Amino acid sequence: MIRLVVRKRAKSLGWGALVVYLCALALALFICGVLLRLSGRPGLGGLAILFQGAFGQSYSLLDDLVKAIPIFLCSLGVALSFRMQIWNIGAEGQFALGAVGATFVALSLPGLPWPVLLPLMFLAAMLAGGLWGLIPAALRLRLGVNEIISSLMLNYVGILVLDYLVFGVWKDPASFGFPMTAEFGPGGQIARMGPTLGLNLGKLHWGLLACPLAGVAYGVFLSRTRLGFELAACGEGERVARYAQLPYGFLVLLVLGAGGALAGLAGSIECSATLGRLQPTVMVGYGYTAIVVAWLARLKPWPIAFTSFLLASLRVGVEVLELKLQIPAAFGQIMEGGILLCVIAGQFFLDYTVSLRRPEAPVAPVASGASCAPGVKEAA
Amino acid sequence: MAGRESRTDIGAADVLPEVRLVGVTKRFGAVLANDSISLSIMPGRIMALLGENGAGKSTLMAMLAGCFKPDSGHIEVEGRRVDFASPREAIAAGIGMVYQHFMLVENMTVAENVLLGQEGGFLLDPAAMHAAVTELSERFALPIDPGARVGDLSMGERQRVEILKLLHRQSRVLIFDEPTAVLTPVEAEALFAALRAMSAQGKAIVFISHKLEEVLALADEIAILRRGRIEGEFLAADVQSPADLARRMVGRDVVLEIGREPMETGEVVLDVRHLGGPGLDDVSLSLRRGEILAMVGVAGNGQQQLVETVCGLSRPRTGEVELLGRSWDDFFHCRDWQGALAWVPEDRTGLATCGSLDLTDNLLLTTRQGFSKGMWLRRARAREVAREIVRTHNVQPGRIDLPAWQLSGGNLQKFVLGRELLRRPRLLVAEQPTQGLDISATEAVWRRLLTARADMGVLLVTGDLTEALQLADRVAVMFRGRIMGQFPTGDAARVERIGALMAGLSE
Repeated sequence: MIRLVVRKRAKSLGWGALVVYLCALALALFICGVLLRLSGRPGLGGLAILFQGAFGQSYSLLDDLVKAIPIFLCSLGVALSFRMQIWNIGAEGQFALGAVGATFVALSLPGLPWPVLLPLMFLAAMLAGGLWGLIPAALRLRLGVNEIISSLMLNYVGILVLDYLVFGVWKDPASFGFPMTAEFGPGGQIARMGPTLGLNLGKLHWGLLACPLAGVAYGVFLSRTRLGFELAACGEGERVARYAQLPYGFLVLLVLGAGGALAGLAGSIECSATLGRLQPTVMVGYGYTAIVVAWLARLKPWPIAFTSFLLASLRVGVEVLELKLQIPAAFGQIMEGGILLCVIAGQFFLDYTVSLRRPEAPVAPVASGASCAPGVKEAA
Repeated sequence: MAGRESRTDIGAADVLPEVRLVGVTKRFGAVLANDSISLSIMPGRIMALLGENGAGKSTLMAMLAGCFKPDSGHIEVEGRRVDFASPREAIAAGIGMVYQHFMLVENMTVAENVLLGQEGGFLLDPAAMHAAVTELSERFALPIDPGARVGDLSMGERQRVEILKLLHRQSRVLIFDEPTAVLTPVEAEALFAALRAMSAQGKAIVFISHKLEEVLALADEIAILRRGRIEGEFLAADVQSPADLARRMVGRDVVLEIGREPMETGEVVLDVRHLGGPGLDDVSLSLRRGEILAMVGVAGNGQQQLVETVCGLSRPRTGEVELLGRSWDDFFHCRDWQGALAWVPEDRTGLATCGSLDLTDNLLLTTRQGFSKGMWLRRARAREVAREIVRTHNVQPGRIDLPAWQLSGGNLQKFVLGRELLRRPRLLVAEQPTQGLDISATEAVWRRLLTARADMGVLLVTGDLTEALQLADRVAVMFRGRIMGQFPTGDAARVERIGALMAGLSE
């Protein structure tokens, strides 16, 4: 009888990881092609349109980049808490609160010039998002409430707060009844990069600068600072944290607060740069995509940047696909989910090797149905 | 290497042993987990396998259950040599094991769990399944409701389900790994009745335990395992008392003689007065610099709770604990990373280290304050020191970029000890510091502890009496949360009585 033997890898796969990722991606695209075919559209042709839409022209690449900005920032935020096994699903709500905070400043102080107003908006956004993130942290520490549930629920609350404001107190009288605030003053809008640099950069805006700043800060914090190390060590569980006297409670507050601040920053950039005002369409699910990104990228900064761009371009490509083939908008989410599942399944091969059992090979408990006595391991 | 012939063969010469282990040896790296062990397991008999943690009981049983293969020697079932490649083959040969951690599907009923994987056909017949389970449970005195959901059952009932699973698979040899560890006393009694019923119907029973009373209450024959070897094998009827058994279990064999120079003692570093709480009953002890105090006793008699209190994991419920002259609250409110308290826990993989982090990061786990400058961490220096520890303590395989899970328990232990001594503590708590270490590593650790005590008081928690007597200046014996006696190791008359104290007989 042929049996599979599964063993944990002693060495990491190195460049072989790239092959695993590419295969997983190819499998996901293949599944999507089949789905297109089943819904009566050309499978291969559909994928071609998708690629053309996402990467075909320079303006589509720029569009990818614009959409990658909020995804990247939110993703850094959730990755921070995932590092210590705190599952922050609340980036979407923190994003909404960030947009609300920035709008509050922009509407209250409309006449200020941008060097004053924009930093104030960012600050308000990070404060609002950060405080929103602290709610699940406090609930977890004080009452033992699972942060997955509370942060997820707070997403809906946050979006409703946003809706309440734009449908009510902040609604622009000149908007003909549409739910939106008045346009921010010129000092409250992030400018596009193209005109200043004298290049044709489409919708790309200066908010892009937040990404390298946040990315470097994230990387340096985790690899160089003591707090960053304590955070990673906490990921092994509260028992180890108590043994090593790690400030577990403080770190929970820190990761959820800082994660909320990053998502809030993303919200403020999005509504200041792309829309120039606050309206419900600012919420397009970047906060949820960010979770997928953080997971796919295994919480590392460069892969987060790359994956953010990839999933942003998927969004752009699917928009084109919707237009050309009359595909429902949900197809984008199906693809996103498909990629996530395939890549996560593929990541199994990064940590484990699978081989057919040879007669003399020792048996790994994982593969053999019944596992061995706890605490008894084959020596590595 | 056939090893010694089992004495129980003579006791029941006309019956063929169900299972025979012949010269079974298993090594993990340099550690000899089982050293040419020969044992016969007889049908209709209950055998107790007695030994301290790390004596090799689990390894031996894991080989019987098909999880590992012996390095040399072999296993015979009904006189025929077998070569298990997986637990499945062991089960097919009639050997089943009930682990401490049950392997049941909580959302399924008792009957579904028992018949899982051997339903026979595509369609299920709940009535027949219930009938089959009921029949089995009545035959072996294991009362259970076949329709109950496993998630709703108590630990004792879940254990019955595990046993029924094996009985339904026609297992003729049933192995129990510390079966009473999760049971209440009443449930334990019920289990004993069931074990007797099974043995009366010809099943061979092996159970692993370190509880002396239950071994005497239940077993027909007893085998004692120490440091991977069978150190004694006799009929339970030949044992006079629990104290007698304790003496046979802990032994006094000198595996390693190590000269211990007396040392001048300094200030009191740990003072425990009338400490009470869960698992502890009026514990008082004090420890000075320059001294090693060994806490001995059968595992699970309050040592764990004492250590957790002394090391700051749980607050003293009643009584007082003073560390380095400060009260418990004051000491743990703000404590220095160095020059104070260091702890080498028994659980090296789940508590003392982070499996996924490399050795540098594991060094930083308790010494990070020493490697930081403001908010920054000086990893380069930490790497140097980690390399230094790996070299001086001979941590194999000698690389610091490996994640901790890839190191064997003994090597991890050497690393942890090096790390904790780096903190230059004045009070060191060492739990089972040489468990799973080979002789040379054990000697290295012993020597290090002996020299270290010049600067600190060492609280040594160990189940190994040899270790306690070799290292300690004083020894304290624990039983059911109480200290039964406390005396210098030079007091030969009282040292003789340690076995009795461990079994709960007071001085």
